[in-house]
Amino acid sequence: MGKIPKGSSRLSYDGRELRAGAGSGRCFMVDARCLRGTAVQSAYAHVCALPDDAAVLEFDHPEVQQVRRDALAWWIGLLGDALICLTTLALDEARYGGAITVTREPAPWSEDPFARIFPGTVVRSDLFCEVAPPAGPVIERRAGVAWPGGRF
Amino acid sequence: MTLEPGQAFPDLDLPDHTGRPRLLAELAGGDPVVLLFSRGWWCPKEQRHLREITELQNEFEVAYTRIVVVSIDASEVQAAFRAGLGARFVFLSDPERRWLQRLDLLEETDTLHRPYRPTAFTLHPDLTIHAVYDGYWYWGRPTMEDLRRDMRAISRAVRDDFEC
Repeated sequence: MGKIPKGSSRLSYDGRELRAGAGSGRCFMVDARCLRGTAVQSAYAHVCALPDDAAVLEFDHPEVQQVRRDALAWWIGLLGDALICLTTLALDEARYGGAITVTREPAPWSEDPFARIFPGTVVRSDLFCEVAPPAGPVIERRAGVAWPGGRF
Repeated sequence: MTLEPGQAFPDLDLPDHTGRPRLLAELAGGDPVVLLFSRGWWCPKEQRHLREITELQNEFEVAYTRIVVVSIDASEVQAAFRAGLGARFVFLSDPERRWLQRLDLLEETDTLHRPYRPTAFTLHPDLTIHAVYDGYWYWGRPTMEDLRRDMRAISRAVRDDFEC
């Protein structure tokens, strides 16, 4: 992964731990706002991604569109004040590698729409900052930035 | 307060349908906006119009444009109404009628609910008003074609690469 679009940050995941930047494990691009600012300590990150490089779909795949719709329709509301931030995990400008939903407390992870694509793992993390949830209804990405990040 | 094309719409600060504090400029996020002041969930005209808007969201979701609805309904009522519609856009809640007075949008003929007068604005990303629609009479509301036309005009004005 070379130069990344403005509005993106790198995050790596080895199946057990998350690290900011391109560390050990698989490297993704996330909405940079999630890692910029004062991080919430001991947050719960539901990582719906796999460390296996074969776990990939295109962002334009219908189900990858649908899980973003579901996030806007009910997942964000279901989490309420517990939500810290959420971001999809981009591999490049076109490919989807998963998503992370971050909360202050355990959440009904079995309902996580992103887990329909790649199974979720709960990881405790000190990396993530509070970001206002996406307003919707836009599900498209902006110049390759991981949804819901970026702006024109 | 003057709410006419070319004027700046105020940056509303209201809780959304989940109770989270929001600013209108933040919701715009750099995109054109359709801002709808709605009587409330009980009104058949609002139900009809918002069903149309909910259909239109399928175009907005791929067109970098936003929809925001404001009403006097409590957040939890809006959340239920929104879910029933299948909407994926934000509702802002003003049960205290804090902005209703400042915007001078009180519907004076409904003394039971004292709701917003149904009014629609199309806004540039910086909240400059493009067009205003007085929806007191149902046919005064913007049709979906009106909204498409306005979103096209605003997008053409603000997207440098709209016409390559």
